[in-house]
Amino acid sequence: MTIQNQPIPTVLLDKVSKLYGQVIGINEVSLAIDGGVTGILGANGAGKSTLFKLLMGRLKPTQGSVRLFGINPWSNSAPYRKIGYVSESERLYDWMTALDFVSTLARLHGMTRDEARDRTEHVLNFVGLDDVMHKEVGKYSKGMRQRVKIAHALVHDPDLIVLDEPLHGCDPIARTSIMSVIRELGNQGKTVLVSSHILQEIERITEQIVIIHNGKLLAIGNLHAIRDLLDNHPHRILIKCENPRSLAAQFIERDPVYGVRFPNEGELEIQTNNLSKAHSILPSIILQSNQEISSIENPDDNLDSLLGYLIGDANNG
Amino acid sequence: MEDSVDLGGGQTRMEVAFGAGDGDEEASAVVTKSDTKLGSIFNQQYRTWEGSLGPRWVRNYAIYRHHVYGLLTSKGHRYYHPMVRLLILVIFIGALTPVPMLFLSSLLGGEDGGFISKMWGINRYNLWGQVLGYFPRNMCFWPLLTALVVGGMISDDRKNGTSAIYFSRPVTRFDYTSMKYLSVAVILGFVIVFSYFLYYTSAIVFRGEGWAFLADTLPIFIGGMIAGIILVITYTSIGLALSSISQSRFFAAIGFLSVIYGTKLVSLLVELQFENTILYIISPYDCLAHVGQFLVGLPPNYDHPLSFSILSLLLINTLSLGLLISRVSSLEVTRE
Repeated sequence: MTIQNQPIPTVLLDKVSKLYGQVIGINEVSLAIDGGVTGILGANGAGKSTLFKLLMGRLKPTQGSVRLFGINPWSNSAPYRKIGYVSESERLYDWMTALDFVSTLARLHGMTRDEARDRTEHVLNFVGLDDVMHKEVGKYSKGMRQRVKIAHALVHDPDLIVLDEPLHGCDPIARTSIMSVIRELGNQGKTVLVSSHILQEIERITEQIVIIHNGKLLAIGNLHAIRDLLDNHPHRILIKCENPRSLAAQFIERDPVYGVRFPNEGELEIQTNNLSKAHSILPSIILQSNQEISSIENPDDNLDSLLGYLIGDANNG
Repeated sequence: MEDSVDLGGGQTRMEVAFGAGDGDEEASAVVTKSDTKLGSIFNQQYRTWEGSLGPRWVRNYAIYRHHVYGLLTSKGHRYYHPMVRLLILVIFIGALTPVPMLFLSSLLGGEDGGFISKMWGINRYNLWGQVLGYFPRNMCFWPLLTALVVGGMISDDRKNGTSAIYFSRPVTRFDYTSMKYLSVAVILGFVIVFSYFLYYTSAIVFRGEGWAFLADTLPIFIGGMIAGIILVITYTSIGLALSSISQSRFFAAIGFLSVIYGTKLVSLLVELQFENTILYIISPYDCLAHVGQFLVGLPPNYDHPLSFSILSLLLINTLSLGLLISRVSSLEVTRE
């Protein structure tokens, strides 16, 4: 399938807006996603769930078009053969065992009984529930329930997996397990969309991100590439050393460095507009200073600060 | 008299009374050593699936069986409370009460058997009454059966958000609704129409009737069966419509009983007051009874024309289905 000889991406949104009366849910969002894990980031109420509901055909866009595998999901359920969806608030059939529940849903995709059972056992094993698959879902912990939801989304081997806040309410062990599952799915070549408002979670899963704020698309692409694009904002390098003042004197003379601070005793904060150039001169200066350096950190090169900058820009703009 | 307590290491009177020291002199404790695993990070090995997914009818059959088989076993199917299952069984057995009477008639033979046969045997009135008689079937059995089966059919999905499970799969809203409809209709049909069929068959078998009897009564039987099917369709439509507008199975069930009994009661009061049966067209039961009387060839109990009842039934079904479709269309579609 092609449009003007270009392959159609798995997910395509073209100037999509969704209004709830006077309230803007999503505002002229255009994006194309194909392959790998993509994190959908945004604060609560940013529009992540609206975006997913538009993708899953539960909302009709006020403007623009949504395409999954080139098909409009609002008027056609055909794309769902190739989609696995984990809703944030989806309830489960608590009276069923995980094996019964997932195999029942597998049959909703048209699998035979034997196929459904075989496939169910595999996906439950994949998400680490093989030893409790005969236990009723109602007796599961939150983390186990999330994994059941992921299992039922994977049972028909979808090409696109949409996970709405899959780590919500999970304990650390469950989080790590689910993150591992998501990464593995990305490695398998699946297109995985995973939303979260907790930035560190996404950072641990993928570097490919989409940032939404107040319904607007703020940024899309590689986390570090996006950060590099934000040269208007200072990057900081935090160095913990014995004598920060002598080290600061050497840095301040160099081109990419425009300022230094001493936030705490034994700490030097270098301010630069060109992070990679600053890092390139870092080793030689440290060697010249002949000091023992206990740590070097980039506090701005994470999602928290990135989102802070972008949201600041969006609000100012 | 003065009490004295030896604090210098002897026994207090309480210790003497209970025969025990305070235990501190040999204090010890055992703490169980827990070797419970706190958790584990499992090893993922995802295997792609090379099979092909089945066609639409296979998916629809999965929805249908999920709802119907749940009456027999909860394993992998929709959950029906044991009391609901029991009541449905009681209603089914209750609907079959003429069968043992016919058996008794065939055992007794003679005058006694003839009386029983006349009371419960095959004739226009009994065939009509087996499906459309007011007491006990349409006053107790069928409305209660419908309320029990249909109550949570869609309202449970509305309440729990489990319809999302269907709509994130290649299941259209039409398939979802039609399979729910078929599931309810099959359960009602099994109890109402199948019990009618058993009644007719057992009458032939127990009385040893021949082809002539069959030729005489088959058209009446078919008329009654058509009336039963219309009843199943009408009750299913009304029940599912009420279930689709509700987030509680209780409201849907009570709403259905209110519609059936309420319209009947109002019509009856109007008839008693004004000696006019026209208002019975608002009562689904009376419309069905009127049409049923026509189908089995009985003189009508109603003064108004049959066409009024037929039109009313069409209208009731159309309105119910319209409501059902519009509500299911908006299921899981939020804030449109």
